[in-house]
Amino acid sequence: MKLRRTLAGLVLLAGLTLLPPAQAQGQGCSADAPCELDVFIGFDDQRHDWAQARAAEFGALFPQYRVNIVPFPDYRPLLDSYILAHEQGNPPEVVQLLASGTQFALDSGYFKPVSQIIAGRDEVLGQAVDFDDIVPVVASYYTVHGEWASVPWNTSTLILYANQTLLDRIGVASLPLTWQELEAICAQLQPLMDDGTLRGCIVWPNHGWFFEQWLAQQNTELVNGGNGREGRPTRVDLTSAAALNIAQWHRDMYRAGYYLYSGTRGDWLGAVHVFATLEVPFMLTSSAGVGGITRTAADMGLEVTTGRMVYDAEVGWTGNTIGGATMWITAGLEPEIEEAALAFLLFFSNTENSASWHQATGYVPVRQSAVALLDDRGWFAANPAFRVASEQLADSQVTNATRGAIFGTFVETHDLITQAIEDAMLTDRDLPEIMRAAEAEANLVLEEYNLLFEDN
Amino acid sequence: MYLVSPLVLLLLVALAGGGWSAWRARAQGAAPAVRQRAQLLALLGAASAALGALILLAPLNFCPFELDGDGNADRLNVMLGIFILLGGAFLAHRVASSLVGRWLRGEALPGATETRTGLFSGPGSTLLALLCLAPTLTILTLFLYYPMFDTFQLSTQLARLGAPRTRFVCMRNFNQLLGDPDYGRTVLVSFFLAAFIVLFSLALSLLIAQMAYRPITGGRFYRALLVWPYALSPVIAGIIFELLFHNTAGVLNHVLYSTFGLKVPWLLDPTIAPWTVVVASTWNILGFCILFYIAGLQNVPNDLLEAAAIDGASAIQRFFSITFPLLSPITFFLVVTTTTYAFFDTYGLIDFLTAGGPVESTTTMMYEVFEVGVVARNLGSAAARSLLLFGIVIGVTILQFRFSRGRVMYGS
Repeated sequence: MKLRRTLAGLVLLAGLTLLPPAQAQGQGCSADAPCELDVFIGFDDQRHDWAQARAAEFGALFPQYRVNIVPFPDYRPLLDSYILAHEQGNPPEVVQLLASGTQFALDSGYFKPVSQIIAGRDEVLGQAVDFDDIVPVVASYYTVHGEWASVPWNTSTLILYANQTLLDRIGVASLPLTWQELEAICAQLQPLMDDGTLRGCIVWPNHGWFFEQWLAQQNTELVNGGNGREGRPTRVDLTSAAALNIAQWHRDMYRAGYYLYSGTRGDWLGAVHVFATLEVPFMLTSSAGVGGITRTAADMGLEVTTGRMVYDAEVGWTGNTIGGATMWITAGLEPEIEEAALAFLLFFSNTENSASWHQATGYVPVRQSAVALLDDRGWFAANPAFRVASEQLADSQVTNATRGAIFGTFVETHDLITQAIEDAMLTDRDLPEIMRAAEAEANLVLEEYNLLFEDN
Repeated sequence: MYLVSPLVLLLLVALAGGGWSAWRARAQGAAPAVRQRAQLLALLGAASAALGALILLAPLNFCPFELDGDGNADRLNVMLGIFILLGGAFLAHRVASSLVGRWLRGEALPGATETRTGLFSGPGSTLLALLCLAPTLTILTLFLYYPMFDTFQLSTQLARLGAPRTRFVCMRNFNQLLGDPDYGRTVLVSFFLAAFIVLFSLALSLLIAQMAYRPITGGRFYRALLVWPYALSPVIAGIIFELLFHNTAGVLNHVLYSTFGLKVPWLLDPTIAPWTVVVASTWNILGFCILFYIAGLQNVPNDLLEAAAIDGASAIQRFFSITFPLLSPITFFLVVTTTTYAFFDTYGLIDFLTAGGPVESTTTMMYEVFEVGVVARNLGSAAARSLLLFGIVIGVTILQFRFSRGRVMYGS
């Protein structure tokens, strides 16, 4: 009898556990029983705090919705978790995806393009829709076949950081704009490198994004099909004159002792470390770090200035492309939840929040109105280091090269490029041969990807 | 269209299996009961060999022997097909002939020698036994057998995490690896690292254990400290050694530079970085080996050592003639476990220390499985890589067992 009662109790408990929550999504959201929206983001530091604060503000505006910001340490585990959540039938409503994952996001069928949700409206739940305000080179990246697939959030580009205190001491008057000017300054610093005062002239993490940026500067496309903008690409081009030029420059800079390479691929923290410990006067890294780097430098009593990403003067500069991530809305949501998700993203990236996000981190303000707002408030005058990235993108010509490539195996190709550049620096192998091998592997991966996705 | 019809292939395998069984049955040394039933054995041999080949190749639809659109057969595919065909036939034939041989010789079949008494001996005992085993079997099926089967299946497919479909590609994933010189280098790197990790960890741990097992004041605390590195995961070991060896921010280079004006490219030079991984991995596994050697040394009979000392044997002679041979079971156990560690468990350490670089000099097979499967989400290729790694480690372990015969002494 006792056993039966226990079993009956367990069955009842299991039944109660499996029952849907009292407030099922889409059955009318109210302040008393708000509908929940999960938002996966790839930050678990102060950027997560910023996003949580915005979610709380949105909740105050719309008490019928509760936005939960779910942090992940990086973009890769974030996407893996999203895919698994989707396969289990319980995906979050909104997810942040790396720009290089755009093609996969489109191919997967997991998401609904925001243009389709907006359907030509000027506002959604009182939140203004104004995508014409987005910085052109950013807009050109995220519009695919003329349609907005996602909402831009954290956008960055590569810029040059300089230890101005050190440069002033050795009499370097202005920051280099080109490879050639940089090499000249490095030659000037050679005695300091010889006597051990400096470990090198410049540092940057060995990562495929740098190669991609230099390729865009030389107006060269990474993949066919108009860099993936005019059709699904089938070939990666790592043996173009521009690609070989970039690989050769890496080899030359490393062998001259100017480029300090830690030996670890994608060593973002290592690069900042040697720059912060005054072992190199120049660093190339993401503009997203400008807030942290300038604040740390000020704490150390140093002045850090920023300049544009150096380019090859012999080829010229067309423009730089962007990096970062955007926010995607899951397909198949209840209409009310879908509206709420879109309204949240419009709120999240409005002029005020875009400016606030830039001030908190250094990510580029994605709205032209946010740039103007910051200018009006005297932000750029007081913090000139923050201005460079916006100017670099504003001056960029929009071509298929600077719009940035879009193809399904972008992330893997970044890794292959990183590996090839390392081979170029650390081995004596024939440079075209290194790039040909990387290209062959990248093409194989792309071919396999297309076999699985092309009819989707 | 096939290069050779599956039916013909099975017939050929059956002929080979039957012929082999008949020859073995008639060969000198076979028991009379076996010789008398040579025809039956030949038939069973043929059937088992054909069945073994069929079990492995039928799920693949005999694809390695298929012709492409132009009517050509891929040579590497065919070779892999023959390998699978013969492997399946050999294994099935081996199992069948062992069972039938025992039956004919009147020997008990494996597992049937125990006296069946107690709870599981009465009527309905099998059902009860199965019921008791059900939780274990369920867990094994869910977490071991099914993933294993799934890995086999994935290895023949083009599959990516998040892709809307998979495509059957037969042996393509294996083909790509076997024809790829970079993969060959990865295999060599894995063996190189494993060899030196095993060698250094065993030699050093034996040396340290030899000094640490003696009864000294505070010995327990001292021994606990020696074992401590093993308590750390390889990931933590990787982080610690990265802080030590980092080319630009490492403690070791800072000390070397400030003392001798010297900087060593621990993680930058492809000829030095593998040694850095060996050092870090050895440090990580050392505590485990020390623990076993201390236990082993404490069980070496003192009277033997004393008798040898009285007979005039030096400390080195006593070690190599008495201690080391008596430790051989532990040494053999440690060789197997550290080999497994070196092949399978160093991923975390390598990822944090070198990320497989520089110039792929520390990219091991296990590291590639993770990079290809988890980072690049190419599940099919990763499954093929993991099966090859599994096969290689099994092969190495079998070799170790064979090589150790006669060299490892158990008991007195």
